[in-house]
Amino acid sequence: MSSWRRLHVKARTGGFLSSTPVTPRHTRLRGPFMPCQSLSTGRSLRKGFIKDLENQLSEMKKKAVDALPGSSWSPVLINPNLPPERADIVIVGGGVIGWSIAYWLKQKERVRGGLRVIVVERDPTYSRASTVLSAGGIRQQFSLLENIHLSLASADFMRNINDHLFVLKEDPVDLQFNHSGYMFLANEQVAHIMEENYRTQRSAGAEVSLLSPTQVKEKFPWINTDGVALASYGLENEGWFDPWSLLNAFRRKAVSMGVVQCCGEVTGFKYKTNVVNSVDGEQMFIRRIQSVKVQMPNSLEYQPVECAIVVNAAGAFSGKLAEMLGIGSSPEDSIAGIPLPVEPRKRYIYVVHCPDGPGLDTPFLIDYSGVYFRREGLGGNYITGTSPEEDEEPDTSNLDVDHEFFVDKVWPSLAHRVPAFEKLKVTSAWAGFYDYNTFDQNGIIGVHPLINNMYFATGFSGHGLQQSPAVGRGVAELILDGNFRTLDLSGLSFRRILTQEPMLERNIV
Amino acid sequence: MLKILIPTVMLVVTTWNVRAKWLWPATLTHSLLISMLSLTWFAHTSETGWKSLNSYMATDLISTPLLVLSCWLLPIMILASQNHLSQEPANRQRTYISLLISLQIFLILAFSSTEIVLFFLMFEATLIPTLMIITRWGSQAERLNAGTYFLFYTLAGSLPLLVSILYIQTCAGTTSLLILHYAPALPMTSFADKLLWAGCLLAFLVKMPLYGIHLWLPKAHVEAPIAGSMVLAAVLLKLGGYGMMRIMVILEPLTKELCYPFIILALWGVIMTGSICLRQTDLKSLIAYSSVGHMGLVAAAILIQTPWSFTGALILMIAHGLTSSALFCLANTNYERTHSRTMLLARGLQAIFPLMASWWFLASLANLALPPLPNLMGELMIVTSLFNWSWFTLLLTGAGTLITAGYSLYMFLMTQRGPLPVHILGLEPSHSREHLLLTLHLLPLLLLIMKPELIWGWAI
Repeated sequence: MSSWRRLHVKARTGGFLSSTPVTPRHTRLRGPFMPCQSLSTGRSLRKGFIKDLENQLSEMKKKAVDALPGSSWSPVLINPNLPPERADIVIVGGGVIGWSIAYWLKQKERVRGGLRVIVVERDPTYSRASTVLSAGGIRQQFSLLENIHLSLASADFMRNINDHLFVLKEDPVDLQFNHSGYMFLANEQVAHIMEENYRTQRSAGAEVSLLSPTQVKEKFPWINTDGVALASYGLENEGWFDPWSLLNAFRRKAVSMGVVQCCGEVTGFKYKTNVVNSVDGEQMFIRRIQSVKVQMPNSLEYQPVECAIVVNAAGAFSGKLAEMLGIGSSPEDSIAGIPLPVEPRKRYIYVVHCPDGPGLDTPFLIDYSGVYFRREGLGGNYITGTSPEEDEEPDTSNLDVDHEFFVDKVWPSLAHRVPAFEKLKVTSAWAGFYDYNTFDQNGIIGVHPLINNMYFATGFSGHGLQQSPAVGRGVAELILDGNFRTLDLSGLSFRRILTQEPMLERNIV
Repeated sequence: MLKILIPTVMLVVTTWNVRAKWLWPATLTHSLLISMLSLTWFAHTSETGWKSLNSYMATDLISTPLLVLSCWLLPIMILASQNHLSQEPANRQRTYISLLISLQIFLILAFSSTEIVLFFLMFEATLIPTLMIITRWGSQAERLNAGTYFLFYTLAGSLPLLVSILYIQTCAGTTSLLILHYAPALPMTSFADKLLWAGCLLAFLVKMPLYGIHLWLPKAHVEAPIAGSMVLAAVLLKLGGYGMMRIMVILEPLTKELCYPFIILALWGVIMTGSICLRQTDLKSLIAYSSVGHMGLVAAAILIQTPWSFTGALILMIAHGLTSSALFCLANTNYERTHSRTMLLARGLQAIFPLMASWWFLASLANLALPPLPNLMGELMIVTSLFNWSWFTLLLTGAGTLITAGYSLYMFLMTQRGPLPVHILGLEPSHSREHLLLTLHLLPLLLLIMKPELIWGWAI
């Protein structure tokens, strides 16, 4: 009887619709007592046959569901990475500014699905993006009111980040916001500027305090207060955080709200030009972008995305994007001749290890010589750097680090200020670009006068990351409400560049 | 009849033979002349029955307004398409215009046919040029989806219609509309006859569209280029209404019982689509859903089969055709400038386009059925005849009218009033062509206030 069942086994293995070869089963009955095997092979085989049948049925059902309308299968094979043919707003640049604008646009759209927003980023690894290579600090110690308000609003956003950027069923956002504050040190010559800035900052609502050298020595005994006349210490809403977390939080939330993410490079625009005669008789070409040409990475394939508005959040590479539209290519003395004054500037950051260094409550210290450092992690590591002189700007064609720069320019001042740093070891270093506004080193937010539908949010020169939530909100208000609502950022518009009136910060890093 | 049809056929020849520089002016003039000629159909010397009669085609008091509307629409479509086709090569422009003209020919044949079979053939034939226009000249990847929905919804409804027509032919011996009125009534007693009833009407209900089977309409309207949207909204939907009007005659006495679910669906659709319109962000989608709502009223009116309701349905069809087409043209003027159909991004336009704002105002008022425009007259007659049929319907039609007014005003206020965003300032000024286009839409509507007898559909 059992031998007949074994024959039966051999004939029916494999199922009647599949083409698997018949394999002999090993469940041969060896005796009447089989403690670890089921005694009846027939039942398990019947089950196996039914399971096979069920598998096949579910496969057929899947195929049918794919072919029926309502599924995404289509007979025409389209590259799934291509951006859609039409979007309402195209944000060029997937850094923290770009994603912040995308999030705020979706936040303000009033009806679900009211706006089609796509963010175009050419490098999904963010290997050259300023956002992730940033030191990640946030401070309110600026001299311009707009900057202070932007940082305050952004700090408030980041403190309550899970009220804004929490996505259901995902982990809450953790920015690793170290609230250790910034400390600026001023010498005799610039102490009065620091005092004026302090008054501006306090009136704007920033929690900053002024400290004398003795107070500094009391608070932070590891500082050498030689040459320091005054110090400005941020008590609240200042410190540093993880830029990658902020970027990912914005991106995750924006994608969950329906923003389309596209990996590609913007290589051109299709625009319509109107010739306009200005009051002075000057002929101007007013352009209106009709579509953005997005090219796929490592390919000749491109997709023209028809759009109503383009936002230039390309950071260090915004100047190149503006050139595609002819900004800056006309003769010098016309409005069209003024280029977008944003160019990449390379800055180095060195990671040093000093076990006897300042403790855990060390603030982000910025000396009047321009050298800065902050604690990184809890293992005695610090990151440090400085801005090079105007005429010694490093080459921006690559992100290679110049270690000589550390030895020549950073270490001496650093060791002078913090004697413990005389003995340190450079464990790592990286370089990143500032989207440096060569005009006045402050952000440019607003529409270009000659291009009707391109909004700029670039040129933040090293403080873009810390202002990104508030900048995103401002740009979204500008686009959707027609004007700024919560913070008046009209001082940062293009106007100052056209009238050549720089809004300079006094004391920058 | 032939003096309209032959010039329309020859218009195709004109399109292909005229020089590229004169393509648009020539076709526009030619089609305008044809439409002027078609106005002679309005002169009904015989107060009942058929006019311009030959064996296959005739005009009737019901078909005349629709015929004149279709003939009127061709020059308007050509005018509207001129801008977005200007960048295409000449042969493609000619193809596009030929598609529009072929649509025109099919529509004239459909509305003027005396045989139901010819009507059905033309009903199906209009699908082909429309499908070509939507899928080839529409502007998004979704247009393939839209074309599929459009084609298969209509075809699925038409197959039962074909079978029913053939059955009528065998049963009554003829499908000629001239004779069917006098033919002995079909025995409508068995269950199969109920299926016959449904089969006859389903295709037209899908085309109207009726609320439950309306899904093809927003897709088709949104993805189609401007001429496609115009012809869809203005005339192709009315094919459904006209077909229903013609075929209801032979479907007695079943209609008295079987019409209930469809009337309820249609009236419920008025409220539902109105509510959907209030939440729309896409301008063309809003206008498309409003079409569904208005046609729901028309469908309900035709199903109750009273003289007043037929009149109301006919008036509303004509008025809605002109109004909806005008709204699509206005949405297109927006779209051609900002390249976006999202209403959020094109606001406060009254400040920069004041004359266009007045056309927006008129078209929105027409959409919400402001007296003394024929839109109101049609709606009023439908509402009163429905109320006479059952007073419950007043709740639905009243609420529907309220919501219609709500979303029409919402559309007007969103696009014209409000803060003007910065990126709107540099838009191109309005072209005279666009103003002419809208005048040609709204002028007939305003003139019809004066002489509504033209579109009443009954003898004076």
